[in-house]
Amino acid sequence: MSTFDDPFDPSRRLSHAGCSCGQHKSQAEHDSALASDEGRLSRVVESAAMRALFPNDLTRRNFLRAVGSSAATAAIASVLPLGMAADALASTGPLEKTNLKIGFIPITCATPIIMAHPMGFYAKQNLNVEVVKTAGWAVIRDKTLNEEYDAAHMLSPMPLAITIGAGSNPIPYTMPAVENVNGQAITLAMKHKDKRDPKQWKGFRLAIPFDYSMHNYLLRYYLAEAGLDPDTDVQIRAVPPPDMVANLRADNIDGFLAPDPVNQRAVYDGVGFIHILSKEIWDRHPCCAFAASQKFVTEMPNTYAALLRAIIESTAYASKAENRKEIAEAIAPTNYLNQPVTVVEQVLTGTFADGLGNVRQVPDRIDFDPFPWESFAVWILTQMKRWGQIKGEVDYTSLARQVFLATDAARLMKEAGLEAPETTEKSFSVMGKPFDPADPEGYLASFPIKRVS
Amino acid sequence: MINSLPLRAGILSVVLFGLFLLAWHLAVSGTGPTVEMDPAYAALMGQAAVQGKSAMPGPMDVAATLWGHLSDPFYVRGTNDMGLGIQLGHSILRVALGYFLAVAVAIPVGFLIGMSPLMSRALDPFIQVMKPISPLAWMPLALYTIKDSGLSAIFVIFICSLWPMLINTAFGVASVRKEWLNVARTLEVGAFRRAFLVILPAAAPTILTGMRISIGIAWLVIVAAEMLVGGTGIGYFVWNEWNNLSITNVITAIVAIGVVGMILDQILARIARLVSFPE
Amino acid sequence: MTEKPLISIEAVARRYPAPGGNETVIFEDLWLPIRRGEFVCMIGHSGCGKTTVLNILAGLEAPSDGAVIVDGREIGGPSLDRAVIFQSHALLPWRTVLGNVAFAVKSRWPAKGKDWIEKQAKRFISLVGLEGAERKRPAELSGGMKQRVGIARALSIEPKILLMDEPFSALDALTRGTLQDEVRRICLETGQTTFMITHDVDEAMYLADRIVLMTNGPNAHVAEIVENPLPRDRSRTDLHRHPHYYPLRNHLIDFLVTRSRTLRDAPAADRDPRNPPVVRPHAAPEPVAPISSDQASAQHPSMTRRVP
Repeated sequence: MSTFDDPFDPSRRLSHAGCSCGQHKSQAEHDSALASDEGRLSRVVESAAMRALFPNDLTRRNFLRAVGSSAATAAIASVLPLGMAADALASTGPLEKTNLKIGFIPITCATPIIMAHPMGFYAKQNLNVEVVKTAGWAVIRDKTLNEEYDAAHMLSPMPLAITIGAGSNPIPYTMPAVENVNGQAITLAMKHKDKRDPKQWKGFRLAIPFDYSMHNYLLRYYLAEAGLDPDTDVQIRAVPPPDMVANLRADNIDGFLAPDPVNQRAVYDGVGFIHILSKEIWDRHPCCAFAASQKFVTEMPNTYAALLRAIIESTAYASKAENRKEIAEAIAPTNYLNQPVTVVEQVLTGTFADGLGNVRQVPDRIDFDPFPWESFAVWILTQMKRWGQIKGEVDYTSLARQVFLATDAARLMKEAGLEAPETTEKSFSVMGKPFDPADPEGYLASFPIKRVS
Repeated sequence: MINSLPLRAGILSVVLFGLFLLAWHLAVSGTGPTVEMDPAYAALMGQAAVQGKSAMPGPMDVAATLWGHLSDPFYVRGTNDMGLGIQLGHSILRVALGYFLAVAVAIPVGFLIGMSPLMSRALDPFIQVMKPISPLAWMPLALYTIKDSGLSAIFVIFICSLWPMLINTAFGVASVRKEWLNVARTLEVGAFRRAFLVILPAAAPTILTGMRISIGIAWLVIVAAEMLVGGTGIGYFVWNEWNNLSITNVITAIVAIGVVGMILDQILARIARLVSFPE
Repeated sequence: MTEKPLISIEAVARRYPAPGGNETVIFEDLWLPIRRGEFVCMIGHSGCGKTTVLNILAGLEAPSDGAVIVDGREIGGPSLDRAVIFQSHALLPWRTVLGNVAFAVKSRWPAKGKDWIEKQAKRFISLVGLEGAERKRPAELSGGMKQRVGIARALSIEPKILLMDEPFSALDALTRGTLQDEVRRICLETGQTTFMITHDVDEAMYLADRIVLMTNGPNAHVAEIVENPLPRDRSRTDLHRHPHYYPLRNHLIDFLVTRSRTLRDAPAADRDPRNPPVVRPHAAPEPVAPISSDQASAQHPSMTRRVP
């Protein structure tokens, strides 16, 4: 990887007149001179975003020095799909509103949103943000629609489901960024510690946090791969995360695929053991999302820019392994996750007790990488259709673009003087089976267990 | 007087409470067999897993927690972490708002229904359908239409307090003794004086019974509503501590809910005694 | 009789719809004048419609036919001119004695000040002998005291006519006697026009100037009107020593025992509803015919009873 045109290099100055390498008259010329290699294209886009976020070179360099460029790369990607916000981000006018409310569910997926409060990332942007703990995803959705919250933490399939109108009235929803990748696990009750093969799970009662969640799709996928029909061979119920451990203890359920700290808490209380981490099903799968209302984005561009800057810095900070202990201590108290510090720490550091007497070390048990690949959306849609949550023809590509703000991303690229790339999609494998985002129907047809014919 | 009934009942209450605490203490005390485990592993585990300690707190744990809350009931350590007193205050305020709103609607409408057989018959089907609806079933509709979770919680309190008061007011007004109304008629008492000086005092004990039922329901419902909507209030406190599986705090909150509920009921009982009359 | 009556019940009827589309007739074509300052009692068995007559007079019930004329005007409903003393006293239990009476006074004179109203109320409370009990609530009073409050309340509005519906029937004999004395005293002192329903013959004899006898219901009618032959300054304790006492009493008892039924079943052929027969049972100066039986005395109301 060449570094000379790396916008994340703190020593480099991003020139507006002339190109970043100095060999071309304009940045556009420089860009067009580059092959349309995905990595390079995104670099240009990133640099545009970087300029937009940090118009002051000094600030930008200080930021990069502070968090490290790789973290910033990951962080900055979160603004990429928000083309519409590009203008907003570029503006540096006065904040329209400084008192904001952001809703979160007390799980570690929300780490960047939460930690930005105690660790001062919001304050640094002159924002007075209240992070409000909320009882459930439906409530979060309603409070965001009611404009009680300016922004909120959601499950990444939720904006898709809401947009399609699955389980609710269709309401177009926008999602600036994915929050975290990995960070979930399948936990089983201690009495099942010898049933490590899912084929033995017939008749199990398994819990998930919400119907429209990655947890549901990953669990169903995992069971189906083992030859179990998730609708007939087991019972899958939506159970609020706080109730999961208690239900497991009370023997009302046999296990769950849940967000942390629920899994680690089950281990901590000696109720269950971690069967597998979700990364063992699909490494770097998306989970939760950061969402802001459309009205907020358009009416308060400066505030929105400042908020995203705070989230990005927070995300970048969270993605560094050496900061995780400190973060765990910051977000564990009653005001935030309300969990013992050691539980949160085990989740974030990846050094954890598995409930079977082993200490495991999985540094990327949870990570914070916010790029919302359209192919994620396509995969989620295939699973929604696979399990009958949506029926009939599905226009995967346009839906994915609409919700994951792909068109805006394309516009951003055009504004940077580029042809809109064909690839905001990347391929990945789930349990070793490759997913081709270009052929969702073929992918869907390849599964023997499904609810569609 | 060792033979006085209240004294003997009081002694019995204390003895029963003591027995209950003792049974509770015995039931949760003691540790299970200590599990052999690697110290590095043990450091990552909770006491319940390591020492086999019961997950249920004992009476002493609850008393200590309760004392902690009582000695600092009004602290604010952030949006999501406030003292028990503040949480109770939020809940009481919500209940009061929704409840008085319901009083303002139920008593005039109940009057109308009680005095007019036509209105009584016309509105009866609506009341019969609305009455059995669980107040929490209104929550999604309220959130969707009112677009404010705080107001929605107040609305839910309003709707659940409404029916007992409405029905009791209507019943109380409809069953005012005929002879009292005849007294008013022979004295050519105007509609206004008749409503306020004859019907209202005559129906007041029945109305107060309805109000007392309502405040009980309202206090039951606010806890559930706050668990659902969150933010502030004793219901949120319970939910937050349940989230942390802190049974000690949950029991503490249960005690607080019970005590506040009893106080609210006693206030209404006292008012009921003021307006009641022996015949 | 030439004086224009204060109250005139004219051709009043009361009918109720009965099951099967028919009508139950309580009474029909009822006529009754009441003169100013007169005390009229109505006697009859339960179901003869005497309470209905009182309710129509009070304006609490509307007649099916006919009209009640008070002071030359047809009544249209209840009025402060016509005070009612209810059998069950009907005090407002949440108000004190003073409160109950003041409520009536305030209704009668809404423009008057609080002090005046209290003074007027207290005046009538002392009239019925309840000084000192003003602040008590009805539940703290005995039955007799409650009815005294009821009387005070009715009188306090200074009505043209006092209507009493068996006011003393729920009281014990001793209390009843005392209250009867009080009522008689007050009515005589104030010249109060009074219409009272009772089924107590002695009460009617002691209090009434005229006693209206109703036949049994349904389809009741006024059988006759008995003029009280006893002197106006009668006293309850030696009433029974008066020579007219027993003729009057026997006449009334006979009516209640037998004639109230027979006259309903077979009304007199020459019955004129507007002018029911008026009788005045008395001890005759000399016997005009031998007394043979109760039957005979019943048929000849003016006959004297043999005086021992």
